[in-house]
Amino acid sequence: MKNVIKLGFLGMALALAAAALLPAATPIVAQEDGGIIIEGTFGAGPNQFNPLLCNDTACNRIVGLLFPGLTGTDPATATFKAGAPGSLAKEWSVSEDLKVVTYKLRDDAKWSDGTPITTKDIMYAWEMIQNDESGSPFTFVRGRVASVEAPDDYTLVVTLNEGSCDYLWDASIPGISPSHLFADVKPAELKDNAFSTTPSVGFGPFKFVEFRAGEQTSLAGNELYTDAAEGKVKPAGFIYKVVPDQTVMIEQFLAGETNLLDSPAVNRMADIKAAGDAGDVQVFSFPGVSWDYIGLNLADPTNPQNGVDENGNPIDQGKHPIFGDVQVRKALALGLDVDAMIKTAVFGEGTRMASNIIPTSWAVNPDLKPIPYNAEEAAKILDEAGWKVGADGIREKDGVRLSFNLMTNAGNTRREAIVTLAKDQLAQIGVEVNVELLDFNLVIERFYSQTYDAFVLGWRSGYPNRPDGTQLFDSSSDIVGSGSNMVSWYNEEWEKLNSDALTLAGCDMDARIKLYQKAQEVFQADLPYIPLFVINGMYAARSNVKGFSPYQAQLLWNVDTWEVLSVE
Amino acid sequence: MIKYIARRLVQAIPTVFGVTIFTFLIISLAPGGPTAALLLDPNLSSRDRENARRALGLDDPLPVQYLRWLIGDFWWQYDTDGDGTGDKWGERKGVLLGEFGYSIPNRRPVLQLFGERLGATLELGVASLLFGLLLGVPIGIIAATARGSLFDNITRILAVVVNSVPIFWLGLILILIFGSRLGVLPMGSRCPTALQGCPPLFQRLEYILLPMIVLGAGGVAGYSRYLRASMLDVIGQDYIRTAKSKGLRQRRVWFTHGARNALIPLATFLGPAITNIWAGAFITEQIFSWPGIGFLTFQSINAQDFAMLMAVSVFSAIATIFGFLLSDILYALIDPRIRFS
Repeated sequence: MKNVIKLGFLGMALALAAAALLPAATPIVAQEDGGIIIEGTFGAGPNQFNPLLCNDTACNRIVGLLFPGLTGTDPATATFKAGAPGSLAKEWSVSEDLKVVTYKLRDDAKWSDGTPITTKDIMYAWEMIQNDESGSPFTFVRGRVASVEAPDDYTLVVTLNEGSCDYLWDASIPGISPSHLFADVKPAELKDNAFSTTPSVGFGPFKFVEFRAGEQTSLAGNELYTDAAEGKVKPAGFIYKVVPDQTVMIEQFLAGETNLLDSPAVNRMADIKAAGDAGDVQVFSFPGVSWDYIGLNLADPTNPQNGVDENGNPIDQGKHPIFGDVQVRKALALGLDVDAMIKTAVFGEGTRMASNIIPTSWAVNPDLKPIPYNAEEAAKILDEAGWKVGADGIREKDGVRLSFNLMTNAGNTRREAIVTLAKDQLAQIGVEVNVELLDFNLVIERFYSQTYDAFVLGWRSGYPNRPDGTQLFDSSSDIVGSGSNMVSWYNEEWEKLNSDALTLAGCDMDARIKLYQKAQEVFQADLPYIPLFVINGMYAARSNVKGFSPYQAQLLWNVDTWEVLSVE
Repeated sequence: MIKYIARRLVQAIPTVFGVTIFTFLIISLAPGGPTAALLLDPNLSSRDRENARRALGLDDPLPVQYLRWLIGDFWWQYDTDGDGTGDKWGERKGVLLGEFGYSIPNRRPVLQLFGERLGATLELGVASLLFGLLLGVPIGIIAATARGSLFDNITRILAVVVNSVPIFWLGLILILIFGSRLGVLPMGSRCPTALQGCPPLFQRLEYILLPMIVLGAGGVAGYSRYLRASMLDVIGQDYIRTAKSKGLRQRRVWFTHGARNALIPLATFLGPAITNIWAGAFITEQIFSWPGIGFLTFQSINAQDFAMLMAVSVFSAIATIFGFLLSDILYALIDPRIRFS
């Protein structure tokens, strides 16, 4: 027995010793002039960096620093810009029907192994998008793009299925990568390829150094990068450190273990602002891109119907006994104190929305104000609409009580706070709200089935913002079981404004903005959603990070000019 | 003995199958699925979402999906041009041939992802097992020899406290105290942050200290209480009285005659210990940014990563079965009263 136990201990001790010695002691690169940016990331962290396969926030962070995009953006206006640093298209044009987009690529861009970046690399990305075996996450591109052709090495012609002024979004081919490295790789074997974890060849302000799964990804300043604003990339390195626990991530930043922070939880933003006031960190707050709203089912929930038939003619969907009346929707919006919701649900870190367009969009209507809280006015409207207060304090009309179910996903404390406050606030104007906290996926199932009364959920708008509302509010997207116009809104005037803005001949930006702004007014007057607020975003850097000057939703646009000074 | 082991292994096969079917059903019946993240984008159409599902094979009937996972589809011809006859062989070999498939959100082979994380989990697991044994066993013995003393009472109370404290809370509090407030230990991670390289373990012991304590604390509490009870049981035996009456010194009676026999039942603890550490690692690794399999699994659950979770359940089942088998074999080896049958 003695021997067995001894052996057991010895075995374990040996195993630990082996583990202690196993990781090779590679030389640690000393901090050079520009210093090292260390960003903590909350969540799973990246697990691969092949641009052909990468489609989550974490790997996009790294891929964005290592690889070029077809089109770049102007961070100041939050729109596309030809010839932006790190992008390939130096100019583009579109056919009159807005279906054929012709890109002219720059001819001076080279992969870090010296191979020129040409349309071959984009054609390869398109090939992988079309191939089911490749595992490409960009299957949505297939629905938008009819064909891609490359008449020569620096001309790319993308033909779209439907022409629209959003052609730059639709025609963008993601996943541009050094195709010469994949010449012998079968599409089905792409996911096994070592390039996913060692992206050795790229074109961006940084180059790949090391990936330690679940731990960190490190990059070094790329001395070959020709687009650096000041001639050369200043920071010596960029470390993306995985810190799965949100509390720990913020403590590490406050302690200076990391020096860059993207989107901390709203309940910790006050701590970071306090550190900002003390001069320890630089803080940039902005209205974010994720927004919560109350969706109201306008159609009869007992008999869900599609918005239009096969020929595009509207189908009679009946009316919701409560929300079918626009006066009731208005009264509900007036009866909700959204500022109080922001204070409770997101610790004051929210920005109100007046319509379905986020406040940072280029198309937002700056003159359209959010509906103010006014319980008296709300009660008056309901009185006038015939909803009289009954014996139990709840309003009634023609035997229908003003009572509805409001569902949201359980476990989301922000939305749970919203529905709880909504219940209290609406009770004061004689409206009964029955809160239903359900599993997220069950909420989704119900809302697609269109058998609900009302719900609180959110959307996350992209960048650059795409103000088109076709998927959310056009009657063609009112498809029971799958369409995102699950509130069954049908408003002819709005549909015309939205589709005019989308297909305006010449796509004049100012004219489109006017149309979108008018559409927002129509939206607010008809209220298929009660828009609530966008959750504020925050970027923060330690005070020794020089050059930190982000725009809304653009943290690293000028990262090649940053310097991390050795003393704070 | 070989016959016994072989029989146990054969018996384990239906168990592992049962686990896979059960896990598969739970994952598949949960609404949503790995494409649920697409639901957040306001510019995606329903056709875009359908395309994504179909490309991942999530539209096929459940038994088909399970079989494809189990035995692959390399023996099956798909009809890609829609003419009614198969024209393209499948590519997957299936789990029985060792192919665990691809993680959907990560788009990489499951086994590769596993391999990258295994070292970290083993390192932490072995360290906390050793920590639990090296601290728990002596505490238990001393507590038994000094039964009713202050030491005995304090360790018993502490054991109950430690067993009742949730791991995630203990972990966060230790990080806040030692990392954030006192600044004497790192706030998680396995290696120091540097552009390149991770030094060997003995040069970064401060990184493993807190997670090892948190993951091993339950072990210390468990082993010490168990050993104390076992020790008290042993010292009531006749041979201990014999040893005492022979005039042996107290220390020799306790440690040579008592502790050696009291340690025997500890062997039965080894199997469950492996499972406990595996389970505890899910939370500990998450809090301490420890890049192991527990952390990976936790994230895979959030992402409803079917392939990853199936692999985790298969490996967990196998590890548990082997842990218990090992316990039984050890027990029989060191206790002559137990025989294989």
